[in-house]
Parts: sequence; structure tokens; C-alpha cells
Amino acid sequence: MAVEFPIGIYIALASALFGIGAVGFLIRRNALIQLMSIELMLNAVNVSLVAFNRAHPETQAGQVFAFFVIAVAAAEAAVGLAIVISLYRLKQTVETDSADELRY
Amino acid sequence: MNELLYERALVWIILLPLIGAVLNGLLGRFADKNLVSALGVGSVAGSFFLALVCFAHLFTGMDAANEHGAQIAVTAYQWFHLSLPAFGGGVHEVGIDVRFLMDALSGLMTLVVTGVGLVIHVYSLGYMKEDPGYARFFAYLNLFLASMLILVLGSNLPVMFVGWEGVGLCSYLLIGFWYQTPAFAAAGKKAFIANRIGDFGVLIGMFILVSAAGSFEFADINSAAPSLTQPFFLGTWQMGTLATAAGLFLFLGCTGKSAQIPLYVWLPDAMAGPTPVSALIHAATMVTAGVYLTCRLSPVFMQSPVAMGVIAVIGASTALLAASIAVAQKEMKRILAYSTVSQLGFMFAAVGVGAFSAGFYQVFTHAFFKACLFLGAGSVMHAIGSHTDADIFRLGGLHKKMPKTSWTFLLAACSIAGVPLFAGFFSKDGILLGASELAYAPEPLSANWVGWFVLVALSLAATMTAFYMFRMYFLAFTGEYRSAGEEGAAHGAHDHHAYDPNPHESPDTMTWPLIILAAGAVSLGLLGLPTEWHLTNWWQGWMGHSIASVHAAAEGAEGAEESGLTIAYWTALASGVLAMAVGIGAAYKLYYNRADDRFRDAMPGRLYQLMADKWRVDELYQRVILGPLAGLATFVGWIDQTFVDMLLTRIPSKLALLSGFVATRIQNGRVYAYGAVMTVGLAVVSWFFVTPHPNLEGQAEGATAHFEAAAGMGYAYRWDFDSDGTWDAPTQGSEEGFGAERSPSHEYAFSALRGRVLLIAQPDGDDARVLVTEEPRPLPASLLPAGWMEDPTGDATLPSVRLEGTEIVLRRNSAVFSTPHGAIADEEVHLGIGDHVIVGRPETSRTDIAVRGLVEATVEVENAFGNRAHESLELVVNVPPERSEPAQARLTTATDEVLR
Amino acid sequence: MSTPNMVLLIVSGLLALGGALGTVAANRPLRAAVALLVNIVALSGIFLSLHAQFLAMVQLIVYAGAVVVLFVFVIMMVGATEKVPRTLRGLTPRTLSLVLMSLVALMLVFGVVYVAMPAQDLPEDYGTVMGLGAVLFTQAALPFEMVSITLTVAIVGALAVGRGRTPKEAEAAKAAEAARQLEGAERLAEERRISAEVSAHGGH
Repeated sequence: MAVEFPIGIYIALASALFGIGAVGFLIRRNALIQLMSIELMLNAVNVSLVAFNRAHPETQAGQVFAFFVIAVAAAEAAVGLAIVISLYRLKQTVETDSADELRY
Repeated sequence: MNELLYERALVWIILLPLIGAVLNGLLGRFADKNLVSALGVGSVAGSFFLALVCFAHLFTGMDAANEHGAQIAVTAYQWFHLSLPAFGGGVHEVGIDVRFLMDALSGLMTLVVTGVGLVIHVYSLGYMKEDPGYARFFAYLNLFLASMLILVLGSNLPVMFVGWEGVGLCSYLLIGFWYQTPAFAAAGKKAFIANRIGDFGVLIGMFILVSAAGSFEFADINSAAPSLTQPFFLGTWQMGTLATAAGLFLFLGCTGKSAQIPLYVWLPDAMAGPTPVSALIHAATMVTAGVYLTCRLSPVFMQSPVAMGVIAVIGASTALLAASIAVAQKEMKRILAYSTVSQLGFMFAAVGVGAFSAGFYQVFTHAFFKACLFLGAGSVMHAIGSHTDADIFRLGGLHKKMPKTSWTFLLAACSIAGVPLFAGFFSKDGILLGASELAYAPEPLSANWVGWFVLVALSLAATMTAFYMFRMYFLAFTGEYRSAGEEGAAHGAHDHHAYDPNPHESPDTMTWPLIILAAGAVSLGLLGLPTEWHLTNWWQGWMGHSIASVHAAAEGAEGAEESGLTIAYWTALASGVLAMAVGIGAAYKLYYNRADDRFRDAMPGRLYQLMADKWRVDELYQRVILGPLAGLATFVGWIDQTFVDMLLTRIPSKLALLSGFVATRIQNGRVYAYGAVMTVGLAVVSWFFVTPHPNLEGQAEGATAHFEAAAGMGYAYRWDFDSDGTWDAPTQGSEEGFGAERSPSHEYAFSALRGRVLLIAQPDGDDARVLVTEEPRPLPASLLPAGWMEDPTGDATLPSVRLEGTEIVLRRNSAVFSTPHGAIADEEVHLGIGDHVIVGRPETSRTDIAVRGLVEATVEVENAFGNRAHESLELVVNVPPERSEPAQARLTTATDEVLR
Repeated sequence: MSTPNMVLLIVSGLLALGGALGTVAANRPLRAAVALLVNIVALSGIFLSLHAQFLAMVQLIVYAGAVVVLFVFVIMMVGATEKVPRTLRGLTPRTLSLVLMSLVALMLVFGVVYVAMPAQDLPEDYGTVMGLGAVLFTQAALPFEMVSITLTVAIVGALAVGRGRTPKEAEAAKAAEAARQLEGAERLAEERRISAEVSAHGGH
């Protein structure tokens, strides 16, 4: 192996993906695309976890943690989509702007 | 001992009606009517009896009197004590006692008040029998009597003023007795307000008098009267003498209370009250309070010809004006009201021309005949069933139906008209005499003018008085009763209600008072027989000590017997008799046995209308004073609504709404907005975690300091205790090393000190720091104790301090320094760290000044991200100096050796 | 790092970034879903370059095979092919978010991209099914079971939320809604009356 492991690239990639996901969540109005952006962010975190684990391979904690993240993200996606369907039933649209009844 | 009895009696004269008022007022509603009557009348009867006793005692002592005349005085207690500035500098220590005095003047007045009061109370038993407010009426009536007695018996101005205000209040309560009718309540208010305006005058007069004479007591003021001729300045404008000013202000009060021009307008409206009220208050007692006041302070008024002239002119004018209005009125009580105003004008005219005792005599006789006339009118109203007033043009022939009322009324009318040998004749004669004497006086022409004016005006007024009195009598009591049948119904259709078609005589409780009063009106003339007829004038004899008079001043020791029948006397007599004759005659011709008003038809219409409209004075006041006042009130109200409300309520409410609006913009229910806010929060929090925060704290004990930095995630520290750039911990001189030591201690050496500082102990426990620099700096005076200077009275220079090498030099200047061993005498003191001196004089508060060193420590913190932050802290330490012994010895004290 | 590894990394990285941008900027939801798929597959490649084989496969199976499919189902239900507006109407939140996130991302990217750490020898079973399985069932057994419970709960929750109303429930809900509307209207009228009184009174 080479002496050095370029962890910076992976961290940079993860940060970029996270930023894109965050911006996407904040900007888009469509609930489904917002959920997809959330998935992007979770994936980015996974990448950084595994990269750090590669830098300290004496334990596999990073990958295990990423594993759990994937599992929970799947559960969360399921429930979130159920909510989106409820919203669609109520408002006949999936735009989150229409869910504004909890206002002052 | 005997005197004590009379003094006690004097107090009880006042207390009895007061107790009656309180009991009836509080409990009367629940009590039996007979009990209320007994208490109400009984208290006044007791008061009258005591008054008689006291007056009799006074009367017998009248000859063997001291220079004050016979009197009974009693001091109840000291009310309060004042220090007042005096005119011309200095201070008067004035004590105000609750003190009552009965001399001839107040004694007679008391008799009148209680006597006529008793009679009217008895009358009220019958008159007010049906009224639901029976107990309230008697309570108010008793209260009025008590206040009037306080007024009359008070021996100083404040006590009199208490009574003055009290009668004003009771007047308001009684006029507005049937307050359910708004017009009556308004009449009560009008009376009170007009009185109030007058009260202002009384107060100012009171203040002038006390500043000049140094006392509120009548006796003191009167004896100080000659000194009141100093000029009186209103700012820089000289307003005559003190006496003039005081007199005019007091007279303002009299115009209010005694209904003269310009404040008489309340009295005719006051007829809204029950008739006994009109009789008691507005005929016999309250309205004469003004005359009483002027007579009481007659020496003061005598000192001011200007004031006297003003009083005379206003009095005469009022008499004339009111009489002219009375001539054109058609309701009984109204005529009598204007008659009262007119008669009061007579009294003041008398006072103004210097005939004080004559004026007071008129008070006395007026009480009787006017009360009798009012009660007679009340009797008529009771008979015909009217609650408000009696229109004489709807009456007639009452002589046959109500003989007792008719006879007493006639007798009283003769008295007021001045039919010879009735009481009114003598009193009026006395007044006219006073006026004509002034008219013929050899001295200042201005006095002559006043005298002639008063004489002519009063003669005219007397003519009109006789005329309207008999007009009223003839129209009401002679001829045929005009409200008996269809004629009455026809009249009744216009007015409020019809009169009883068959009136009959009033009950005995009402007619006996009439008889008693009429008897008085006839017979009391015997008291004041003019001296010109060489008969005893008892009145003048009594009054001589209490009231000043022109006679006494002018003739002095000659005595009253010598005056004789001068031309002044004949003029007065002639005008009086002529006036009466013309008046009665004209009335007889025009109105006897007739029903129509030929007088009105004979007069020019416009003039008559003006007279009937009271010369439109009320309307004038409304236009000129009340209207603008109401306008001002509306304007101020508008300002309040627009500006004050705006400023205090609408603007804050709008601000609250606005801030709420702004704050809720974030909560629009949309996810993206919440997400944006969360992002911002995330950024802040991450900044906080990404950069480290040291939060350095330090404490010094002596030369050792303990530091503590904040703990945090992955923090590593390094310390530079003396801030010289090289890191001292964890490893000495290291550049890169960070350690885990979070709270180190460090002992400072002398070389690590950054500077010197003075610690000055402050009263709140902390020490104030003063940094010592190479430049001399004065110690701030705010940090030094109060007595730091040697010489408190002279200029003081602050001590200064400067740094010299490693020592500090304290320059003493004007301060007092000392050590525990004694004071320091040197100009300059050399100190090192750890030394201290005490500043301040021994007898004042002293403060410790200590010298300490200053160090600065720095800590740098690195967190797990590799970011660093550093913070510095300055501490005061007490490092023992590395200096030699000789420096210590430079502190020389008075005792030299003990410092080592 | 060996050259093939590097190539894999670069290609996967570019694909991942492209897919992410595609997801965020897509016109239609279905296209966004496809872009997400691309991103996930690329990420699986990245995991491979990090010697995390098991994780790469899990990523493909779970994410690409289940989550994205679920997304596509829902998209189909709510209308997939219509054009969806790209961004918000409001300028301020859009700009704010863009700026902030870009700053954070750029800060991290440019601060960190050159960092390298000393590479260490990999253990024998690093990233393999056996290695990971050993850890999962021994050290991380408790979290593993908790995750299964979480998944069960998620299933039940999704069912409950997504079920909608039975006709009886729908009727009851409609009646409750009508009652609430009525009460609201009453309260509004009451408030109007009170404010009218107050302003009449306050006028003097």
C-alpha cells in the first residue's frame, strides 16, 4: 500500500454531497424530492464514516455504524413516504408549501 | 369656677346641634319620626337656652368690663403651629388654637342664630312632615346650625373659616335637598361654586392679615390695625395699603357668601330648597355672615377708605339692582329672595359708610322680618299645595282664608318697608343716617360723593322695597282668590299644577313661629332707639366695644348723647319716611283689591322685560365665563383623547401588534422556512463547537495565583504566566506542546511583575485599583474618604502617585497619610509592594491604600479540530519585594524606629 | 493508493456528484428518482474503493433495490410525469439557504481535500461479510436487535399513517369538522360583538 491514504478526497466528496443534499432540501418544494435530498445527506454521512474507518482500520465500528444508518434510513423513508401519501390525500398535492396550517 | 361653667356652656352651644346632626344623620333613617323631631328640635332648644344663659352673664358684666369689653372665651386645644414669613422680613411663629369667644357682637349673633333657628326648626316639624327625607333634613339643618355657631363664636380666622365653609356646604346640601330634580341639584351646585369663589378671597385676606399682624386671632389683628397702613405690593404693582388689600379680598368673600354684586346670582336660584331653608339660611343667618365678618374686623376696614368706599358703592348698587328686579317678579319666594339681596346691600352700604353698628342692627332686624316673610310664604305654599313657588297673580283674598298668616305677613312687611316705630324703621334709619353723615362730612370730597351716592341709591331702593313688598301683600292677600274655580283651572293649564281651590290656615306648629317672629319684627326696634331722641341706645352701648364706628372715631370721648339733631339727621329721616310713603302709596293705588298688573302696563315694555329677566346677568355670565370654560374643557378633552390617548394607549398597542407581527413572520407553517432557520442555528452552534473558548479565571493569594480555564471537548492548554511570549507550561519554553493542565497555580517572582497598582479600600468592600505610571497621576477624589484632606476649609490638592524604577512614590500634597504608628510628615513617600498607608484624618473615616503588583497571564487552548484561541487576564499579586532595607527606612514617622 | 482504485474512486465520485445534482435539480420527480439511483450505485462503487465490500452490496440491495423502488411507487401514485417547479417563489429563503450551505460545503471541501493520513495495514477480514458479521452479532448485537424493532415499528407506523380513513371514520371526521367550524364562527361573532361594545364605550 502507499504510505498515505488520501482521506481528504473522501471527506471532500462527502461534504459536497451533504451540501448538495442540504441545499436541495431547503430549496425544493416537492415533498418527494425533499425526501430524496434527505437520503442524499444520509449517504454522504455514510461515506465519511467508512472513510474514517479506513483510516483507522483496527476496528470496524465505522462500517457497522454505516450499516445501521442504512437500515434506519430505510425505515425513515418508508414512514416519510406514508406521510407524503397522507398529505396527498388531504391536499391533492405533494407540495410542502400547502401544509401550512400550523401557523401563528 | 363660675367662669369655667360659662366656658363649658359656650362649647356645648356648638356641640349640641353637632351631636344632633351626627345622630340624626347616621341613625335617623331607622328611628321613629318623633324621636328624630325631638332630637332635632331639642338640640337647638338646648343650644338656645345655653346661649341665653351665657348672654345674660355677659349682659350683667357689660358695665364692669375690661378694655376688651365683657366676653367669655374658651380654648379647646391647639390645632397646629406655623412659621410664616412676615411683611418686611422676619418670621412669625403663629399658633392656631381652636378657640371660641363670645362678646356682645357674637353673643347677639348667637342668640339670633339659635333663637330664629329654634323657631324655624319648630316650623319645619309641620312643613316637612310628609317628606321622606325627614331625618336627613333635620340632620342637615342641625349641621348648618352648628357650622354657623362655629363661624360666629370662633375667636380667630381659621376657626371662623371652618364655620364659613361649613355653612357653605350645608347650604349646598339643603338647597339641593330634593336632588332628584336636576334643576334643584344644579341650584345647589351654583350656590356652592359662587361661595367657593368668594372663599378664595377670604383666604387671601386671611393670609395678608396674618403676615402683617403675626396672629390669626381677631383681637390681635384688630389691635394691630393701625400698622396696616403699609403699602401692599402685588409683585411690583402697588395695590394700596395692606388694609385695603385685605379688606378688598375679604369683601370678595362677603360678596360670595352674602350675595352682593358680582356673586349674588346663586341666591335667587337657591329658592329651590324647602322654604324653612330659605328662611333660615338665606334670610336670617348664613347670608349675614359676610356682614358679621366685616363688623368683626371693623378696625381693619376702618384703616382703608378705599375699601370702605368700594364696599359702600357695591352695597348700594346691589340694593338698587336687586330691588329693581324684585319689582317685576311674580312669584313670592323669588321676590323675597331678591329682597334679601337688596337688604344685604343695605347692610354693606352701612358698613361702607362707617356705620358698622347700624349695619349690624339691620342684620338683627332683618333676621326677624325676613324669616317671618319667608315662613309666611311657606305657609301660603303649604296651603295651596305648591312645592315650588306661589304666583301672586293666581292668589288673592287669602286674608280671609288665612288670617294668622296674613296678619304676621303684614306686620313683617311694614317692618321691612320702614313704617315708623317698627324695628325695620330704626335700623334703616340708622343706615341712612350713616350715609348722610358721610355726605355732609366736612372732609374729603370723595367721601361726600360716596355718601350722596349711597344716600340716593338707598332711598330709591327703599322706595322700591316698600313698593314690591306691598304689591306682594295686596295681590296675594286682598281681593278675591283667583284660583278658586275656572279661572284657576285656566291658569293651571299653563303652569305645572293647579293650586288648591280652597286653601286654609296652616297648623299651629307653623303659625306660632310666624307670630313670634312678627312680634320680634315689631318690638325689637326698642333696642336701637336713636340717640338723637335722647333715649337710651342700648344697641350702640353693647356694640361700642366690639365694633369700631365712625362716631367713636370722630367724637371720641364726647359720647353719643351729644350728637343732636343735625341736618344729616333730618335728611336721613326725611328720605326714609318719604321712601316708605311713596312706595306703600303707589302699591296701594295700583294693586289693592285688583288682579291685573297696571304697573307693568304703565312701564316701557323693554325696560320692564329687562327687569323681569333679572337684567340678564345670568345670561351674561354664561356667555362670558361659563361658555368659554366649557369650551376650554372640551378642547382639553379633545387633546386628551387625541394626544394622550394616542401616546399612552394607541401607540404602545400598535407597537405590541407590530412586534408580534414581525415575530410571527417566521411561523408560516412551511417546512422550508423552518429548515432555513434550523440551518442558521446549526451554523451558530457549529461555530461554537468549532472554535474553542478558554474563559480564563484567576485568583491571587499573596504571591501565588490560581488559574482555571474552561473545559471542553478535546481541549488542550498551554500557559504563559507572565505573558512574556514564552510558554511556561506544560513544558518550559515549548512552542508546540499542549498539555492537559486546566487549573494550574503559579508563584510569581518579582521579575514577572508587569506594573504597580494601588488598591484603595472602598466602603462597599471592594478595592479600587489605580494603575501607577511613570507620569504622576492624582488619586481620584471619588475613591478617597471624605476627610482625606488636612484642612477641610481651604483648597485641597489631591495626592499623586508615580512610578520610579521599581518603587512607587506617593506625593502627599494636602492629604493626611499615616501608618499604624503615626502620621507621615514627609511630602513624598516611597513605597514598595506590600506596603500600605492609611489616608484620612483620625476622627473621620479612614481608608487603607495598599501597593500591589500587577501580572498578566495568558492561556492558549486548542480543540480537537485544531483551532486555537487564547485569552489573557490581569491579576493583582502581592510579591515580596527584592529591595534592600534602606528603602523601608525612608518612611519617617513621628516615632521613628518601630517600622522594621 | 493503487491506480485502479483511484480510477474507480474518481469515476464513482463524479457519477455520485452528477447524480446528486440531478436529484436536486430535476424537473420531474421520476427523473429525480433515476438520478438518485445513479447516485446510489456510484456510492456503492465508492464503498468498494474503500474496501467495504459488504457495505457496498448492502447499499445496492437496500437502497437501490428497496428505497428507490418505494420512491418510484409513490411517485407513480401521486403523478410522476408532470413538471414540477424547480425552486421556491421566495427569493430570500432560497438565497439564504444556497449561500449558507455552499459556504459550509466549500469550507469543508477546500479545507480538507488535501489532508492525508498514514495508511495502515488492513486486517484480514476487513470489510468482508465474515468480519462485519462477527462484529454485528457479538459487539453490536444489541443495536442490531434494536434496529429490527425499529424496522417493525416503522412498518406499523407507515401502515397506520398511510391507511387513510374507513368510511365510518370519514363520516365521523366530517361531522367533527363541521362542529368545529360552527364553534369557530360563533366565537368569531362573539369577539366582533365585544370589540364593537368596547369601541362604543371607549369613545367617551
